[in-house]
Amino acid sequence: MNVEITGLTRRFGSVAAVAGVDLRLGPGVFGLLGPNGAGKTSLLRIMATAMRPSSGSLRLLGRDPGSYGPRCEIRRRLGYLPQNPGYYPGFTVAEYVEYFALLKEVPSARIRVAVATAIDRVALGDRGKARLRTLSGGMLRRASIAQAIVNEPEVLLLDEPTAGLDPEQRVAFRALLRDLGQRATVVVSTHLVEDVAAACAQVALMDRGRIVFAGTPDELAARGDGQGAGDTPLERGYSAVLAQARS
Amino acid sequence: MTAATRAPSAARPRPAARRPGLPTLRLLRLELRHNAMAWLLPVVFALFWLVTYRKTMAMPPLWNVRAASLQTGIVADFAVPVTGAAAWMGSREARRRITDQVMITARSRWERLLVTWAATAIWAMLAYLGCLAAGYGVTAHQASGGGPLWWPAAVAAACVLLFCAVGFVAGAFLPSRFTAPLVAIAAFFVLALSTEPIHGSQSSWQVSPIVTGPWDAGVQAGVATFYPFQPDLSIAQVMFLAGLTVALLGVLALPAGSVGRALRAVAASCTVAGLLAAGTAVGLTGTGSMDAQGMLDIPALHDAAGDRPLAFTPVCGRTAIPVCLNPAYAAYLPATASALAPLLGELAGLPGAPARIVQEPVAYQQATGNSVALQLPRPAVSGPPVLPLVLPDQLGQPAMTAAQQANQVVTTYGPDLVADVIGDGHGASQAQNAVATGLMMAAGLRRLDVYQLPAGHAIPGRQPPTAPGGPDASRSPDVAPGTPAYAAAERFAALPSAVRHAWLGQHLAALRAGQLTLAQLP
Repeated sequence: MNVEITGLTRRFGSVAAVAGVDLRLGPGVFGLLGPNGAGKTSLLRIMATAMRPSSGSLRLLGRDPGSYGPRCEIRRRLGYLPQNPGYYPGFTVAEYVEYFALLKEVPSARIRVAVATAIDRVALGDRGKARLRTLSGGMLRRASIAQAIVNEPEVLLLDEPTAGLDPEQRVAFRALLRDLGQRATVVVSTHLVEDVAAACAQVALMDRGRIVFAGTPDELAARGDGQGAGDTPLERGYSAVLAQARS
Repeated sequence: MTAATRAPSAARPRPAARRPGLPTLRLLRLELRHNAMAWLLPVVFALFWLVTYRKTMAMPPLWNVRAASLQTGIVADFAVPVTGAAAWMGSREARRRITDQVMITARSRWERLLVTWAATAIWAMLAYLGCLAAGYGVTAHQASGGGPLWWPAAVAAACVLLFCAVGFVAGAFLPSRFTAPLVAIAAFFVLALSTEPIHGSQSSWQVSPIVTGPWDAGVQAGVATFYPFQPDLSIAQVMFLAGLTVALLGVLALPAGSVGRALRAVAASCTVAGLLAAGTAVGLTGTGSMDAQGMLDIPALHDAAGDRPLAFTPVCGRTAIPVCLNPAYAAYLPATASALAPLLGELAGLPGAPARIVQEPVAYQQATGNSVALQLPRPAVSGPPVLPLVLPDQLGQPAMTAAQQANQVVTTYGPDLVADVIGDGHGASQAQNAVATGLMMAAGLRRLDVYQLPAGHAIPGRQPPTAPGGPDASRSPDVAPGTPAYAAAERFAALPSAVRHAWLGQHLAALRAGQLTLAQLP
C-alpha cells in the first residue's frame, strides 16, 4: 500500500478537521468528495507531509513521515498540488517546473527530460518560455500540475486540480489522471462529481472530518437511487449519503 | 469508515545516488536569474556615485583616506537596498503563497533558503566589488605611493553580507510586503546611530562598520602613510560582522522541520559560534586604545612589527633648501616647493637656516572624552638642521587643493623660518624686525591674499602670523607702514637678491646679537 492511514485526527483548537480517518490506498485514482469544510484539504495536507496529525498513524510508501530521513525519502516520491498553488511570476513555465524538479531532487541527468515531459503532459509545451505572469488562470493551473508531476510521483495529491480548466483541458486532464493512476496512487480532492465519475476507480466522501462513504463511483451513484438531490446519479448518491450521515 | 483501493503497489526503480553539488548550482542559477537584488543594482550604483564616489575622489589620492572613505560610504550606501532586497527575497515564499508546495519537497528548508540568500549575496557582492574596483582603480591611477588597503575593503564586504543576512532572516521569519521597507529603514538607522555611544578610543561601539579608526581622531591623511596600516580594528569588525552573519544564517535552520536533527545541531552550533565570535569582537574592540600613529591598537590582535615606520625614499623638490615629502604626497610637492622657493632662496646657506625641510608624521594622543591631542614633530637635536614639515592634510582638516595646502605651509612655516635665521621675535631689535619683514616682502609674501587661508585652517602650534583680514601678515607687529622700520624693510626688500644675501652673510651674527640699528641696514 502506498498510503496507510489509521485513526488519523487533526484538531484546530476544539475543532476536529480530520476525525479518525482510516484509509489504505494502492495505485489508482482515488476521488475525495465532500462539502466545504469537510476536511478534505486538511487530510490532503497531512498526506502531503505539509501538516502533522494530532493523533493517529500515517505511513506513506511504507515509511513513517514523522521522522526526518523517511520524510525526505517520501517527499522525493510525492507530488502535491494545493488548492491555491503559489508561483513566482517572473519564472518561465520551464523554470518553474525545473525549480520544483531541483527541490524534489530529481537526478540532474534527468531534469531536462523530466521538465519537458511534465510540461508536455499538461499541454504547455509551446508556452515553456512564457513567464508565469503572462499566463491565464487555467494555464497557471496546468503549470502547477506540471510541477506536481515532474518527479513522476508514486503518491500524487491533487486538491481541486480541475478548477479553472476549460472543458477541453478538463477532458485531457482526466486522461492524464488515468494514465498517472496506472503506476501511482493519485488522490483527487474535488467538488466536481463528473471528474470522479470519469477518472476515479475509488471514491470516498468526507463530512465533518470523517469518511462517511468509501467505494466505487457506481456504488455511490447507487446510493442515490430514488433519493437525494442532483442532476446526475452520482450527485444524487452524494447528497443521499450526506443526508444519511447527518441524520 | 475505512476506504481502500485494491491494486497492489507497483515497485519502481529509484536512482541509487544523487550528486548534491550540481543541482544546488542549478538552483542557484535559477535564483540568480530571479533575484530582487539584481533589479536594485542601478539604485546601488547611483547611490554610490552620488554619495560616496564623488566625495571620495575629491579627497587626496592617499590609500588610507580613500579606503576609509570607501568603507564608510559603501556600508551606508548599501544598507538600505541590500537589506531591503534580502528581506524581499526572504519573505518571497510566504508572499507568493508557495510555502506548501516547496515545503513538501525533499530539499530542506534551510538548504533552500540558503541558496536564495546566496543568490542575493552574490548580486550584492558583485555590486560591491564593482564599486570597490571603481574607487580603488581610480586611486591606483592617482596615488603616488603606498598600495591598496584590503582590510577596510574586507570590513565593507563582511558588512554587505551581514545586511543580506539581516534582511533575509527578517523576511523569512516575518513575511510581509512591509517587512522589506521596514527592515531596510531600520538597518540604516541602526547603522547611523551606532556611533553615537562612542566615547573615547576604548569604546566597544567602534566595532560599528562605519568606523574606520579611533572614532575621535577620524580619517587622518597622515595615518598609515608613515607607518603600516594596523588592521586591529578591521579584524575585530570582520569578526563581529561575520559572526553575526553566521549566527543569523544558523537561525534559519532552527524552526521545527527545517532540517534533520544532525543538521539542526550544526546550525545551532553555527549560531552559538557566530554569537560568541561577535561578542568576542565587541569585547576586543573595548580593549583597544589609540596609538601614537593614530590607529587603534587592540592588544590581543596587535602585531608589534607594524609599529615600525615604513621605509621610504622621500621625493624632494629642487629648491635652494630641498623640500622633501613622503612619496604618497608627491602630488603636493611641486606646489609646496614652488611656494616656498623664493623664501628658501633668501635663506639658503645662512647660519640657522635648515639644510632640508622634510615631511614628518604627527603623533596622536588620546585626550579626555572624544578629543585627541596632536603632537607636532620637533627638529632633530643633532645632525644637520632639518625642519620637520607637516602638511595640513595630515591633520584631518577639510580637503584642500595642492595650491591651498602650499599657501598654508608658506603662511605657517615662512615666518618661523625667517625668525629662526634672523632671530626675529619677542625682544628682537627694530633692525631684526625690518630685515625679517624685508625678507618676507622679497619672497613675495607681503600681500595678504597670497596666503589667505580657508576658515578654520591652521596648523596647531604653528599659527600664521595674523588672522585673515588682519594687518599685513608679512610683518612684525612693530613694523607698520610709515615707520622707519617699514621704510628700512622696503629698502632691504628692494635690494638685488645677491646683494641682500651677501649682506646677510656678513652681518647676520651682529644682527642676531641685536648690535645693528636701522641706520646700519643697507
